[in-house]
Amino acid sequence: MASHEEITASLLAFQEGYNKNERLKIMNRDWDRVVLVQANDIPSQHTLELRNGELSVREGAPPRADLTVIADSETLADLFYGDITPTEPYMNGTLKIIGSEDDIVRLDFISLMIWGE
Amino acid sequence: MGLKRVLTLRTVIATSAGLTLASSSFVAAVQVAGFLAGDTAWLAILTGGLLCLGAASCFSELNARLPSAAGIRLYFSRAFNDRLALTVSLLYMAVVMGVVGAESYVLASVLSSALPAVPPLVWIVTMYLVVTGMNIRGIKIAGAFQDLITYGLMGSLLVLAFIALGRVGFQLTAPLAPGGALAFINAVAVGVFLFVGFEWVTPLAEEVTHSRLVSRGMLLAVGLLSVVYALFTVAMTASCSREALVASPAPQVVFARTVLGPAGVFWMVVLSLAASITTFNAGLISVSRFIYASAREYVLPPVFSRLSMRFFTPWVAILTVFAAGVTISLVVLATHRYLVLVNLAAAMESVVYALAGLAVIRLRQKEPQAECPYRVKGGVFVPAITALVFAGLAVAVMFTNFYVSLYLLAGFIILWWYVHQVVPVLKSKYQPRRPSRRRRPVAEPADAGCKKT
Repeated sequence: MASHEEITASLLAFQEGYNKNERLKIMNRDWDRVVLVQANDIPSQHTLELRNGELSVREGAPPRADLTVIADSETLADLFYGDITPTEPYMNGTLKIIGSEDDIVRLDFISLMIWGE
Repeated sequence: MGLKRVLTLRTVIATSAGLTLASSSFVAAVQVAGFLAGDTAWLAILTGGLLCLGAASCFSELNARLPSAAGIRLYFSRAFNDRLALTVSLLYMAVVMGVVGAESYVLASVLSSALPAVPPLVWIVTMYLVVTGMNIRGIKIAGAFQDLITYGLMGSLLVLAFIALGRVGFQLTAPLAPGGALAFINAVAVGVFLFVGFEWVTPLAEEVTHSRLVSRGMLLAVGLLSVVYALFTVAMTASCSREALVASPAPQVVFARTVLGPAGVFWMVVLSLAASITTFNAGLISVSRFIYASAREYVLPPVFSRLSMRFFTPWVAILTVFAAGVTISLVVLATHRYLVLVNLAAAMESVVYALAGLAVIRLRQKEPQAECPYRVKGGVFVPAITALVFAGLAVAVMFTNFYVSLYLLAGFIILWWYVHQVVPVLKSKYQPRRPSRRRRPVAEPADAGCKKT
């Protein structure tokens, strides 16, 4: 089980990887989304916000999310560190992503662009 | 919690019913009537709807246990095993492509009836190009438009049915004598096709204003569809000769012309276009995303996971569905054997519903302590009956149609072999091997600039 701080750190690593990628920022400049990242085994909620191509991370839940990512703390930390791809935990039910299919594909793409396969 | 719970019961019903209503549904409705004597199609359709309510209850419980857009791939994987789940999912997606092929053929026939100068092939290719273009650009059909199409369509069908029944003075011939048990079983089995896709609404489970709305919406959608289909089919068979309806790939146009003349044909063309656009779009979205997700987990070659850098849509998967759909449509156009696809979908859907019933029983045994916000009442009665009845219906369709059993069996064997022999090779060839965990030391959130809200 990962701690809330580990999830925070993994999200910051994700943010760092994202912000280093200028191409990704240009590609996402018209994709403004609020993403809730929530652990289901510990009390831990974070908000990822994409605005004008810039990614920011906050602790806590947003008033309203376009996309919700729910998994156990270990999966979330592994996912945002890029240790695992989202596909396998998504297909076996460990990871739940609530949102439109296009948004899910875009999140998968961002993770791919930051961490590779 | 900040979940975006915005969808209401109205939209859940519209989505569930809208995915189900298609131009090819009218062909299936006439098929149902063709099995039976007199005006008894309503009896078979309502029975099919009632059985689908059992399946809808099972899907509600499965979705409550495992709320995920991965759907049957996840339910069957947890209940049985991953290989069976993968084989059934791949086969199901192949059949959905077949349904899209049959749908394009029926819609092309409808449009050709209105504008005979344009050959059906032109309509088919144009429709595929439009829907494929929309999907590659990521254009969505909005929820409000979906509501408008679905409720407008159901209302129009009811109005047309009542006009037709009014014209014949509500004179029905033997509405309660179907003419034999075997004929009735076959009619119910094909009648299941009328409800194909109602369960595709389950991924909305956590976007609705209340968690029970998806199960309630599915049940109401199946109930509403049963009434609309039953009335419309009885009206069709009461006002047109059964031979003329069965012989036409677009029986709804024959019916509309008989009842209202050219105005009826125009009305029906608009209705068929509305019915097909949601079915086409839903079919293309679900199959292409399934292909994309399968390629991302190396079940299919990685080329299928390529995304458009401009629109962020899986263009290779979408073009693959386009190519497969056009090929299927061309074969149907050449052979006119669209009914095989309708029966194939009915059989496959029956298999999936039977497995859903078994999956509920199996998951209750395997994971008795698992959180389950919705359970089908009455113990294992409904899941067991659902499994038994739909297994029987699948056998009935296959027994009466040699080609359906042949195609389904061949598809299952090929995909079983593929899952057992090819998928492990693809996984070992493409799946990346990570040397070790890259977990970094824990950073202090305040130092790293993460805001607290």
